Amino acid sequence: MILEQIKQGFIRELAEKAQREDGRGLLDYRTISVQKGFAPNAEGSALAQIGKSKVLSGIKFDVLAPFADRPTEGVVMVNAEFSPVAHPEFRAGPPGENSIELARVVDRGIRSAKVVNVDNMLVSEGKVQGIFIDLYILDHDGNLIDTAALAAMAALKDAKVPKFEDGKIVRGSNAGSLPLKDIVVSTSFEKIGKTIMVDATDAEEIASSGRLSLSTANDSLICSSQKSGSAGFSKDEYMQMVEWAMQKRKDLLAKI
Amino acid sequence: MVEKADLFKNGKRLDGRGPKDLRPLKITAGVLDRAQGSCLIEWGRNKVLAAVYGPHEVLPKHLADPTKAIINARYVMAPFSGQEEHGRSGPNRRSIEISKVAKHVFENAVLVDQFPKTMIDVHMEVLQSDGGTRVAGITAGAVALADAGIPLRDMPVGISCGKIGEHMVVDLDKYEDNLGDSDMPFVILPRTGEILLSQMDGMLSREDISQAFDMIFEGAQKVRNMQIEALKTSYERMATHAAEGGQNQ
Amino acid sequence: MKQLVFPGDKVADDARRIPGCYVEDGKTYASNVSLQSDDHIVPLKGYYVPKTGDDIIGIVEEERFSGYNLELNSPYGASLSARDTRDELKLRDAIYAKILAVNEVKEAVLVEPQKLAQGSMIAIDSVKVPRIIGRNGSMLDTLSKFTGSRITVGKNGVVHVEGGNAELAIKAVEKICRESHTSGLTERITKMLEEQTRKMSGQGEQHG
Repeated sequence: MILEQIKQGFIRELAEKAQREDGRGLLDYRTISVQKGFAPNAEGSALAQIGKSKVLSGIKFDVLAPFADRPTEGVVMVNAEFSPVAHPEFRAGPPGENSIELARVVDRGIRSAKVVNVDNMLVSEGKVQGIFIDLYILDHDGNLIDTAALAAMAALKDAKVPKFEDGKIVRGSNAGSLPLKDIVVSTSFEKIGKTIMVDATDAEEIASSGRLSLSTANDSLICSSQKSGSAGFSKDEYMQMVEWAMQKRKDLLAKI
Repeated sequence: MVEKADLFKNGKRLDGRGPKDLRPLKITAGVLDRAQGSCLIEWGRNKVLAAVYGPHEVLPKHLADPTKAIINARYVMAPFSGQEEHGRSGPNRRSIEISKVAKHVFENAVLVDQFPKTMIDVHMEVLQSDGGTRVAGITAGAVALADAGIPLRDMPVGISCGKIGEHMVVDLDKYEDNLGDSDMPFVILPRTGEILLSQMDGMLSREDISQAFDMIFEGAQKVRNMQIEALKTSYERMATHAAEGGQNQ
Repeated sequence: MKQLVFPGDKVADDARRIPGCYVEDGKTYASNVSLQSDDHIVPLKGYYVPKTGDDIIGIVEEERFSGYNLELNSPYGASLSARDTRDELKLRDAIYAKILAVNEVKEAVLVEPQKLAQGSMIAIDSVKVPRIIGRNGSMLDTLSKFTGSRITVGKNGVVHVEGGNAELAIKAVEKICRESHTSGLTERITKMLEEQTRKMSGQGEQHG
């Protein structure tokens, strides 16, 4: 932590000259890789890596009571665990604000684009299908939101829907792949001084004063936006990041 | 039962507003006595109470920042605030996320460098909710900070924007928020036009977003005028009371 | 003509050091809701932050082995080493001292500490201190004259009153604070002091 902090000055100087510690361009992602089916006990899973950051997503289906006002709609729940294995500053315990924010941002992207069709997921009287998407942060070197979003999306693509019999789930069965309407990807930007860059490392995030995470769907629509950190963005900066996010979509889609 | 088709008919929204019209808005500063600063905002059917304490010592001490004040923003909904059944008391995941993004707004707007090693609390209690409580809460929090005499770069203004069918509209109420196609709360700093809070769900094109910006900057100015009115009125109330001899003393 | 300025309002096109204002990109803006009249800007409310050269009154809030922690009516406290004071101090004693220096985290080094005699104290918004003192100390003189009290005012907003009609002195200070931004205050205070002292002494009108 201290070592990352003393790097701040150095990183800011580089950023002023539009340079980065690892020599990347401002709009370059680090190496991205996705392994589907990493945790085969789950109905769907994927391990996503961006640079050194690693997030494992596991999907479990279940049978639950629906929301009162939507009695036949399935329930999708996204939860994130900032495991202490990932970073010396992550402590065991209830989710902190960063963990909650990450889970909700990933959830919003998937939900807004209606990636999973949750209509008509009634399993039996008063019970619907539940899809639990868990995001396990295993290694933190920045840009956890994009990495987690990638893992979640890949896990959904990997997911096999189980059979439901007599209102109960039949574990281990396979009724086919989960039908997906769209693929959503996330691109996060960090602002260091006046410079905006994509896919920040942990050290770059510490030096940053503001972040904007944009999720894209349907090839040219924004389906989620989350600004974080104290720096303000101008309208022009925002619209520019919208453009860049749409450009980056292709590269990220190819990985899933 | 309100249906999505009801939301926009013949150029008018469900409550009769045009696309750029704000709901009735009333802002009152200095409503609480113990808090250093306070503000009640009544926006449409929303009622949010903001209160500010501090700057004060940080406890536990090791959390203090030797270079600036820490903002402790807390957004919470009263269990009786919604139209449905009794909610749970205290923060839930949604309110924790909202507290976080609100904190970021105040971290920018408050001149935190002037008070190193202290903490400033901004509480936003939603007493009644009808869509747009976070922008209402932050707008009230800004007034409460000014009321408390905490130095600010400017007072942030919150306003939401969204899409209903083909139409971009400003200041979504609960029905529009739940049934419409997109909801975008924003908070801006009027002096510089900087965006301090931006969240979004739904599906929007670049053109939609660009149009949204025009609408929110226009709407934000109206909200800003109400913030100023509130502080002016609060001052005049105090001055009048004083001129009347401060009766009981 | 007095008018209110609000946070974010531009106050000058160049960089100036004005209370209740800040400088950004070479221009000066208001940071607080303040009253602006001609060349003068006074914030309605403020918090005392220790400043070098200020004469303040601190109140002992903790006795330690090596000295004392003082409450300064501020988000920041100060400490006084036992070596620096001849008096032995107790909880709630008042010390009048000068701030010699302040570091980046607003810790103050105090010099010339004087223990104030037993008396009454109130803490007010430090922004109101100039009004309590008045132009050339005129308000303070008026207060002392009518109450017969010895009144000490710290820049940090702690007011210490010893002897005389302390209760009246404090009432007057509170009234000044409440009405600090109104005009005609001096007359109203004088009038109140006259009425109150007349009531007490049961004598005829006092002059002058």
